[in-house]
Amino acid sequence: MVSLNKKRKVFDIMIFLLPSLFGLIVFQLIPFGYSFFLSLTDWDVLGDINFIGLTNYLNLIKSEEFWRVLWNTLYYMIIYIPGILIVSLGLASLLNKRLSGIKFYRVIFYIPVLTSWVAAALLWKWLLSPYYGPINEIVNLFGMNGPSWLYDKNWAMPGIVLASIWKDMGFFGLIFLSALKSINPTYYEAAKIDGASNINKFFNITLPLISPTMLFVIIISIINSFQLFPQVMIMTEGGPHGSTEVMVERIYKYAFDYYKMGYASAFSWILFVFILITTIIQLKLQKKWVHYES
Amino acid sequence: MFKKVLLLSVVVLFVLSIGFAKPVTIQFMTFSASGDSVKYFEEMKEVFETKNPDIKVDVQSVGFEDYFTKLMTVIAGKNAPDTFELNYENFYTYAKKGILLDLEQQIESSGFEKSNINEMALKAFKLEGEQYGLPFSFSNVVLFYNKDLFDKAGVAYPTKDWDWEDEQNAAEKISALGPMTFGIFQPIQFWEFYKIVKQNGGNLFNEDRTEFTLDTKENIETLQFMVDRVLESNVMPNDAQLAGMGDWDLFLSGRLGMLVTGTWAFPTFISDCDFDWDIAVEPGNTQKATHFFSNGLVVSKNTEHPEEAFKWIEFLSASREVAKIRIDSGWELPAVTYEDILSDYVSQTPPENRKAVFDSLDYLVTPPVINQFAEMADIVTRYLEKAKYGELSPKEALTEAQRELSKKIELE
Amino acid sequence: MNHKRKALSKKIFFYLMISVLSFFILLPFFWMVSTSLKESKALTSIPIQWIPENVTTEAYVTLFNVFPFARSIFNSVFIAFAGTFISVLSAAMAAFVFAKIEFRGREILFGFFLATMMIPGNLVMIPNYLILRSLNLIDTYTGVLLPGFFNAFGTFLLRQNMKSLSDSYIEAAFMDGASRLRIFFRIVLPLVKPALTTVTVLIFMGNWNAYLWPLIVLTSKEKMTLTVGLSLLNGQHGTDYNMLMAGAIISIIPMIIVYGLAQKHIEGGLSVGGLK
Repeated sequence: MVSLNKKRKVFDIMIFLLPSLFGLIVFQLIPFGYSFFLSLTDWDVLGDINFIGLTNYLNLIKSEEFWRVLWNTLYYMIIYIPGILIVSLGLASLLNKRLSGIKFYRVIFYIPVLTSWVAAALLWKWLLSPYYGPINEIVNLFGMNGPSWLYDKNWAMPGIVLASIWKDMGFFGLIFLSALKSINPTYYEAAKIDGASNINKFFNITLPLISPTMLFVIIISIINSFQLFPQVMIMTEGGPHGSTEVMVERIYKYAFDYYKMGYASAFSWILFVFILITTIIQLKLQKKWVHYES
Repeated sequence: MFKKVLLLSVVVLFVLSIGFAKPVTIQFMTFSASGDSVKYFEEMKEVFETKNPDIKVDVQSVGFEDYFTKLMTVIAGKNAPDTFELNYENFYTYAKKGILLDLEQQIESSGFEKSNINEMALKAFKLEGEQYGLPFSFSNVVLFYNKDLFDKAGVAYPTKDWDWEDEQNAAEKISALGPMTFGIFQPIQFWEFYKIVKQNGGNLFNEDRTEFTLDTKENIETLQFMVDRVLESNVMPNDAQLAGMGDWDLFLSGRLGMLVTGTWAFPTFISDCDFDWDIAVEPGNTQKATHFFSNGLVVSKNTEHPEEAFKWIEFLSASREVAKIRIDSGWELPAVTYEDILSDYVSQTPPENRKAVFDSLDYLVTPPVINQFAEMADIVTRYLEKAKYGELSPKEALTEAQRELSKKIELE
Repeated sequence: MNHKRKALSKKIFFYLMISVLSFFILLPFFWMVSTSLKESKALTSIPIQWIPENVTTEAYVTLFNVFPFARSIFNSVFIAFAGTFISVLSAAMAAFVFAKIEFRGREILFGFFLATMMIPGNLVMIPNYLILRSLNLIDTYTGVLLPGFFNAFGTFLLRQNMKSLSDSYIEAAFMDGASRLRIFFRIVLPLVKPALTTVTVLIFMGNWNAYLWPLIVLTSKEKMTLTVGLSLLNGQHGTDYNMLMAGAIISIIPMIIVYGLAQKHIEGGLSVGGLK
């Protein structure tokens, strides 16, 4: 009986995992392995493949550019991640209320996610414009001098963060919303009876119960941030003078504009390692704050 | 009797198989069949297929931004299209790396008439003496100006004899018309830079292109001239003043006196300008220098149908039908020499001074094509930007650019 | 009486605030709509012209001439539906294993799944193209859809949700002799309905907007998807923004519909844990 169960279990696992494994091996692992091989060559896509060992990696680490774009990406993340967490969770809480017409507003807040970056970037360029834009006008109302945003090398990236939060809040808001909806209302009822305040309820019930989803959002937004690309390309094209140049943009350029696929592959691999390490750290830390109910 | 029937049927089948020979399909990848131009391509394809009933063309359009990504991917996957389009800057690399078919043999066997094509354009697509591509279009860059603004500022229109000083004077008078009005716009980036330095006797390289010569006195003067327009006299808007508005749109809004841009702007300006405008040859300083751009048609080295492929690109490049379609639609100039077609082009207005397009050819400068072209362009642009923002002086910017280029770019 | 008034004014304040927020959120969208109704003239002008000078639908009309627009919408619908079905089913099945069926090496395998999300997409594009080519699947819908069998994002999100399900339900069903397949379809999936709906919607949108991969794989004009078709609007020397925005708006509409329809399913899920 026991061995039959075990065989059954193995069989079930195979069936459930088969489709994903197929895609994983054929379209992820094999190409990824091939790209590692490419990173050890000087392939220019059009010609021959010549093995050059770790030269690409060495050149990469020695280059000023690599560290600059790494720093730019980290600068983005430091501002973006806390920002998007707070905003999208706040948004989800707002949209969680049982008021009539709330569904309508949920759709509205999702529309930025659907908007093309071309349109969004043009609009944000105007919003952040030091001369014509409303944001600086509002800042000036408070007696401060608005920065040059996208034309100032220190303020360009924060500008991009603002635009990104605007665009992504509906996406993560949706994810948080479904997590909020999954919370058993009896928890809140019990807390109400105990006389708990709203703030209490939030920190002691809501947050712990949605912590698995929160982990998900943190990891996904970290991964996405490392791969920041379209908004930078359209809003600042990496400027002003390289202060918004990020890794994926450089990888793309090396692969398809400079005919340096080998170097681009090495670059991607290093990027991958960074993301991997950061994610592993997150996963290790989760024991401290993530609660899985069962 | 039976034998006769058999013989007859064999003959009939033989004849039929020739008559109903399966048409050859050749692929053609292009970035020019985008937006409005799609219908013109359909026309060209129809004319060609009617003239050549045993050839079918499969036109694959790709947007320009992703064109090379796709092209490189399919080439890497050994699935290159039979024929495709390349702009001049990329042509060199593709030819050098052996992707393209040497067209000399086809040229001979098909009796291709070289004199029908603009000599300079044809030469542009040669590599080491062999023809690897045929020019599809060519265009150059001229000085556009807003006649109404010139009238308002009381400045005489640009002429062929203008130099930088004349241009600057006019720009200042026009800028003075109002805070939102500017005298001139000429982007401070690599493409403009390599040409405009030549107007001052400068150059990016030495004679035989074995060394970079970025930090010469002439080049520094040139960059100073360009940057002063923004930072000193502000006759040219800085990025913040532009706020994301396109330079063409600035011109169309009637707030820009002069604009240096390509002749491909004609259709847009013709339909959307509600003021009088015209063009002139770009002013130089110690001499004139103007841009020359061209898009070419090439055949993949591994094509299975070299003859048919050549017929198609020959048709696109040199036929009267295509040339006429191009002229009538206001598209970029075909690189042909047919007198009647060219005079048709010149006689169309606006702009009145279309002759300037051909006058500019006397001073043309081709893009400095090298293997690491894109990398070089990006590096130079980055330093030009620093100068544009006032972070570095022109001298510092060019010196540092020189240093980085010498380190990163290999010149043969 | 006071209590009711307080509640009412709270409500009004809420609606006011959320409406003001919505207005700002939608500004770029307004620009898109406005631009799509403009003539082809000076579309990036500053100061922004919110109301078109001459409202015209020429952008929309011309779109149909630039490429087989209607056909491309159909293609996008097909790929989005088929791709979403494949991905969601496959991801849910894998998530079930990662959440509820233990085996040695499970976490390591899950780590591999996660790791793939960190691979920059354009890096694996060329090897994937080579693989498709060797399978002779270039310019086929199969080729476009095949990689969709693996979806780390969906697997991850569903695994997080399934992990929170109480084991007692599953164990009880097991005792009753139910197969894992049955448990999966009858118990687990309904319990994660909000997350499942979310994943379906998000994957659908991802497939609808998929760009680079269909661009590379498909060459026939009739097979082109909407996003690929819209990219044809960017030419060597500039883009027709009004047509691009018109196309983008048409592209958004199905997604808004899907999102709107999904709303009630996000609500309706049974509570996690099933204490009842």
